[in-house]
Amino acid sequence: MTEKKLNKKYNIFTEIWNRYNYILIFVVIFISFIFINGSATTWKTLVNIPRHSTVIGIIALAMGLIILTGDIDLSVGSQLALIGGLTVMVFNNTNNIVISLLFAIFSGVLLGFFNGLLIGITKMPAFIVTLATMLIFRSVAQTVMNSNKWTIYQLDANLSNWKKLWSIGNASVPVINVPIMVIIFFIIAAVVTYVTTCTKFGKKVYAVGSNEKAARLSGINVRWLRVLVYTLSGVLIGFAVFLYVANVGSVDPATSGKNYELYAIAGVVIGGVSMSGGKGRLLGIIFGSMSFTMIDKIITALGVNPLINDTIKGLILLLAIFIQMLPEIMSKMKTNKHISSSHGDAS
Amino acid sequence: MSRRCNAPARIIEKVKIMNILRMTNINKSFYGVEVLENVNFDVEQGEVHALLGENGAGKSTLMNILGGVYTRDSGTVEFEGQTLHNTTIKMAKEAGIAFVHQELNVVNNLKVYENLFLNKEIINKFHKLNKKEMIKRTQELFKDLGVDIEPNELVDNLNTGKKQLLEIAKALFADAKLFILDEPTTALNNDEIYHLFSIVKKLKDSGKSFVFISHKMPEIFVLADRYTVLRNGKFIKTGYIKDTTPEDVTRLMVGESYANREVYETRNLGENVIELVNFSGEGFKNINLTIHKGEVVGFTGLQGAGSSDLLQGIFGLKASTGGVLKVFGEEIHAQKIHIAMKNKIAMLASNRKENSVIPDMDLLENTYIAEHTLSSNKQHINYKKEMKKYSDLKQRLNIKDNSQKELITNLSGGNQQKVILGRWLNTEAEILLLDNPTQGIDVGAKTEIYKLILELSKQGKTIIVNTLEIPEIQRVADRCVVFYHGKIQIILDRQDITEEKVMLYATNAIKNLEVQYD
Repeated sequence: MTEKKLNKKYNIFTEIWNRYNYILIFVVIFISFIFINGSATTWKTLVNIPRHSTVIGIIALAMGLIILTGDIDLSVGSQLALIGGLTVMVFNNTNNIVISLLFAIFSGVLLGFFNGLLIGITKMPAFIVTLATMLIFRSVAQTVMNSNKWTIYQLDANLSNWKKLWSIGNASVPVINVPIMVIIFFIIAAVVTYVTTCTKFGKKVYAVGSNEKAARLSGINVRWLRVLVYTLSGVLIGFAVFLYVANVGSVDPATSGKNYELYAIAGVVIGGVSMSGGKGRLLGIIFGSMSFTMIDKIITALGVNPLINDTIKGLILLLAIFIQMLPEIMSKMKTNKHISSSHGDAS
Repeated sequence: MSRRCNAPARIIEKVKIMNILRMTNINKSFYGVEVLENVNFDVEQGEVHALLGENGAGKSTLMNILGGVYTRDSGTVEFEGQTLHNTTIKMAKEAGIAFVHQELNVVNNLKVYENLFLNKEIINKFHKLNKKEMIKRTQELFKDLGVDIEPNELVDNLNTGKKQLLEIAKALFADAKLFILDEPTTALNNDEIYHLFSIVKKLKDSGKSFVFISHKMPEIFVLADRYTVLRNGKFIKTGYIKDTTPEDVTRLMVGESYANREVYETRNLGENVIELVNFSGEGFKNINLTIHKGEVVGFTGLQGAGSSDLLQGIFGLKASTGGVLKVFGEEIHAQKIHIAMKNKIAMLASNRKENSVIPDMDLLENTYIAEHTLSSNKQHINYKKEMKKYSDLKQRLNIKDNSQKELITNLSGGNQQKVILGRWLNTEAEILLLDNPTQGIDVGAKTEIYKLILELSKQGKTIIVNTLEIPEIQRVADRCVVFYHGKIQIILDRQDITEEKVMLYATNAIKNLEVQYD
């Protein structure tokens, strides 16, 4: 009973912290970004933050949805390479934006469904399944490329619709001067947040991530929910890949999307979503992915040795997670002191 | 590694004490709330002492103090005449106190003898493990105990009963003198219980002492010499088992609340709601049973007798392998939880923490999650509507919360259970399968749950209560179905439900028990 009381006190603090720490982290990084950029800060550099976060941000939203159920998807980067390459081919052959978009989304659904079937129905561990499909998808992408004797899939700039497609990824909405990509990003984030917090489906996702057994005993079909979650993230990934193609204009199956799974996971975690599932809000992922983009920009602005980039990124990631877990770590150190010490004795 | 404590042994010779353990005026509070208040507890050498009390009475806190898990605020602990100060787990072990936990502490992926010699392996001069010697010694010990376990067997392959015996053997190896058995029989079947008891008896005769924590009255009255009752952290009474009756002990355990219990009324039962014809599945076979609208039926039997499996079979969690299940006159074929729920069946699962509580969700979410699987054609959650439903449930079930946004893990066990019950009432189920509904909740909440069961039955809900505690069945049930080895042993009408009778059928062997231990 007494432990409950302590819990209550600790929970109010932790809850606020857990809910909003991503904003704090974002603000801190944002301020350092402005500080380091100094007078070079313009409207354009500001809108470039969400613009450069869009593709990885949407992929991170897909990843976040999966992580909420307690699973993971390591294949997103390879999916980008495979779907991206094929989408470029489809556009170059059809000169049709809508068909390219639908194709990208359909491919995402197909790959997500494949992952979902393996994980949800056969119950193989998500980590291993997506590790395998990560290898498979990229290798397929490279093989297809090779058989076409191309080194890079490049959008054909001579096509009549190329300019339209390119402007989706690079132009801004005239009056308010905000990139189209950014608007799409925010709309998607809003929709995904709505689905996860205000619909019955979303609550089921949380329930499965929080206590799978209890979720099943409450009547949730956990297997198919898993399949559905992977399939839905496939939709998001397909969309993200389409934006990537529109933005970059080319895909190199060997390097495009490499490490994206790790950046997406980092965005999810900095966004305050727990890796163990069932905890956190996907809205945080907007901030999480933008924080990560800013770290990139700060490193570039500082002009440090590019080889040390990932060291700095890794350290900041560690720091962010440490800040998130601070209340938990503190309370553990306080309450479990004598128990943990006696545990040590027991061995 | 195993150091013998020679100092206390010398004292025994000198003082020749009667009590191996004497705990006096033990106080313990957690963050300002008293959990133990001036508790006295002693164990004589060579006795089995039953430590009794409801959940939350302070039994485990007391034993944890003895075992060095918690430190006491005040009071003295004397073990073999020596006062123990600032006990740690290690000290308690070395002094000869062995805590055999409900959750077993054996290492599953090691072999039996490796477990026994864990951390005190016998090695030869080349620092190589001397397997032969270890296996030999294990065999000797098992032979002495009359335990039939192959030393080379992987522990994972042993059943729970054997694992428990292994744990006791492990404690014997560590030279333990006092064994704390915390509900050792909950996961055992009859034969295993007899075996355990005969070994306890053998060790007792050789001078070992036991603290026996159990909720099963018949076992206590077979095995224990003395008892001590705790209630709400206070010492109530110590006495000899032979001078008392189960009823008296129960009264001491529950105290006042025994008086203001719910009132059973006879009701007119309606049409057939559940009909089982030769219904079989994993853990239960050839079940024939008809349950009527508004009826409260108690299921009981020893752990693993099949009553819980049958509930799971009806709920679609366990596949049925044969027979017919009719609900409201219609046969149900598909074995899926979702279909059971559509047929207005709800199941409150046992092991609340593992099977029911969704820890990262608040109270509101925990109550609507099951209903939403039935109404998923409308995806948007209408917060206002859900809130209204919740506040109705809160009133009906007397849930004590600060806000519906509180995490469910903040509530006490009893309130958590009410929330889970609310989850199922929310689905407007007509048939409630309650598997061990009073597990791990305090006496007050227990009474509330049983009041609620009677109230719901008056409203026409059909309720099955599966519990090992027969007094609880006596309180609410119209009939009692006793299970043994997956089959229905007998169906008793209300007036025939007595603890003796139920145990007789549930064990199928009460005579053996008497012969062996009287």
